[in-house]
Amino acid sequence: MPDDAILEVRGLKVSFPIRGGLLNRKIGEFKAVDDVSFRIPRGKTFGLVGESGSGKTTIGKSVLRLIQPSAGSIEFNGIQLTDLNARQLRKIRSQMQMIYQAPAASLNRRMTIGQIVGEALWLHKGLRGEARQKRAAELLREVGLQNEHFYRYPHEFSGGQQQRVGIARALAVQPELLILDEPTSALDVSVQAQILNLLQRLQDEYALSYMFISHDLGLVRYMCDEIGLLYLGKLVEVAGSDTIFERPKHPYTQALISAIPEPDPDLQREEIILKGEISELSDLPGCPFASRCHAEKMSKCETHLPPLLLTDENHHVACHLHPGTVSHAS
Amino acid sequence: MNDSLLEIRDLHLEFHTFEGVAKVLAGVNLQLRRGEFLGLVGETGCGKSMTALAIPRLIPIPPGRITRGEVIFEGKDLLQLNDKGIESFRARELGYVFQDPVTNLNPMFSIREQLIDAVVYQSDANGRKPAGQRRRPASSRQKRRDAFQRSIELLHMVGIPDADRRIHDYPHQFSGGMRQRVLIAMALAGEPKLLIADEPTTALDVTIQAQILRLIQELGRKMGLSVLLITHNLGVVAKICDRVAVMYSGRVIETAPVRDLFNQPLHPYTQGLLKALPHAQSERGGLEGIPGHIPDLISPPAGCRFHPRCAHVMDHCREVVPPVSRKTAEHHVFCHLFDETEEYGHAR
Repeated sequence: MPDDAILEVRGLKVSFPIRGGLLNRKIGEFKAVDDVSFRIPRGKTFGLVGESGSGKTTIGKSVLRLIQPSAGSIEFNGIQLTDLNARQLRKIRSQMQMIYQAPAASLNRRMTIGQIVGEALWLHKGLRGEARQKRAAELLREVGLQNEHFYRYPHEFSGGQQQRVGIARALAVQPELLILDEPTSALDVSVQAQILNLLQRLQDEYALSYMFISHDLGLVRYMCDEIGLLYLGKLVEVAGSDTIFERPKHPYTQALISAIPEPDPDLQREEIILKGEISELSDLPGCPFASRCHAEKMSKCETHLPPLLLTDENHHVACHLHPGTVSHAS
Repeated sequence: MNDSLLEIRDLHLEFHTFEGVAKVLAGVNLQLRRGEFLGLVGETGCGKSMTALAIPRLIPIPPGRITRGEVIFEGKDLLQLNDKGIESFRARELGYVFQDPVTNLNPMFSIREQLIDAVVYQSDANGRKPAGQRRRPASSRQKRRDAFQRSIELLHMVGIPDADRRIHDYPHQFSGGMRQRVLIAMALAGEPKLLIADEPTTALDVTIQAQILRLIQELGRKMGLSVLLITHNLGVVAKICDRVAVMYSGRVIETAPVRDLFNQPLHPYTQGLLKALPHAQSERGGLEGIPGHIPDLISPPAGCRFHPRCAHVMDHCREVVPPVSRKTAEHHVFCHLFDETEEYGHAR
């Protein structure tokens, strides 16, 4: 192992049953995540990018085992998570926390924000009474809220402030890994910038590792050290952030990058407009992207699934156009 | 130069709520020229959708109330038209595409029925038959038969593959991108002059967004449409608009050709918005948010509504609503920093 990884996921598969018929029997399987492997080095940010339905949130949730993976291994700090029972799992979960997309829906509207943050302190840290109050107030200050906010309810806050509460609650357990599931997609850009800055400051201060899930490539480039691109539950390209943007290899990555509307009217670039849309439930044997691919196709694109291979240093691509070698990550 | 198709002048809109009167629009000035793509941008609650809805008078009154202003379309004030007049404007001159392609199609009816309705409605208002020349008024059945052909043409036009078969499908059988194409087809059925698109791609994935933007761009140019594109995404504006108007808390605060706005934003709020966007060259920690949050519309700040968040605030800003300053013939800004009277103004 080249460097210290906080999280290592190997061959993760998550499938959901499709039920139908009179007796509601299982008639098929939807592979939401199919053979996904990646690692997050300690203190770094790994970005998972993909369009809706690509499985990014499912991966985030299965890392916390909020969703039961069907196969594969998840190693957190060297501990195999897939083997743990409920009690052991609870202990581990205090070291990783998730921050959700919709800040309003992830906060209990009948609790004050002091109680929301305090609850995490009580459940995971066993803090009570004054100690709990004091620590909760500290955490709220840490994320940029004031003492006077302590006794207020979530609906009294703006979206950005609600997200700050979510972050304070996650920090309450002193986690090492935060799974950020589209943390700013419900927010306006001026507020988004505040939250991104807060997340970066906290990462530096507490040596946090982030798994950053987003559909916004511009955002991911700004936040992440390494990026994995998902298409229909499979990783199609994994590389350092700059590599992905400067030398994208997979045709899907190229199309996705060219489709980002950049706030620069002088930008001249060739835009790749993909044909069609994500095909669901395709059980075809070949590359999942083959039907929309704009690159020159080979006959095996339709028949053989390209594995994720190492093509350059730290650059993994799953495409027949870019043959590579099998590496440790796959 | 009078090539203006639509002009909104000093539009004020209030909503009466339990907590008080929300001053949603407080003097919106906006001009849309023939054949141009105008982007209307701003953050949540700035009034961009309300401005757009006020044009065809789709604001519910009450609780809404338009207290002042004019909406001039081809020389007529739409706010003064009677019901028949505004109905005819909606049917003949206007296409409207909304954000959410799911709720804007009726799940109980097939695409065919909904498209035919749109075609018949718009051709009735136009006083012409959808196809062919008939001397006698066509029967309603004949009308729908003609409209069916036109509907298939429309679906072809918006790039739905296999249109003569797919037209019989129901909305749930279409993906989000395809539904948005259907809604664009409906909006364009009557060959309007004006297309209002309110966040048409916000609910879509980025590759589908690229397809839909390309479609709107191509159809707009081909049909000579004037397009008012409402979005919060400055990238979308940079991609397809000619000019852009930035709104903040119920007012337009800057209008400029797209290139000028991005290269030389004048209003402190516009500058803040652009600095808050992560782009290729951003360094870690290099993003600047705008401190504070959007003002309450029931008791908004006096003077310039941006003044509590502005780094350049002067005493004057707290009292007087900034008038327009014309930096160039095309670039207008509503900010006291650029006052034309020398009394308060100082160039940056």
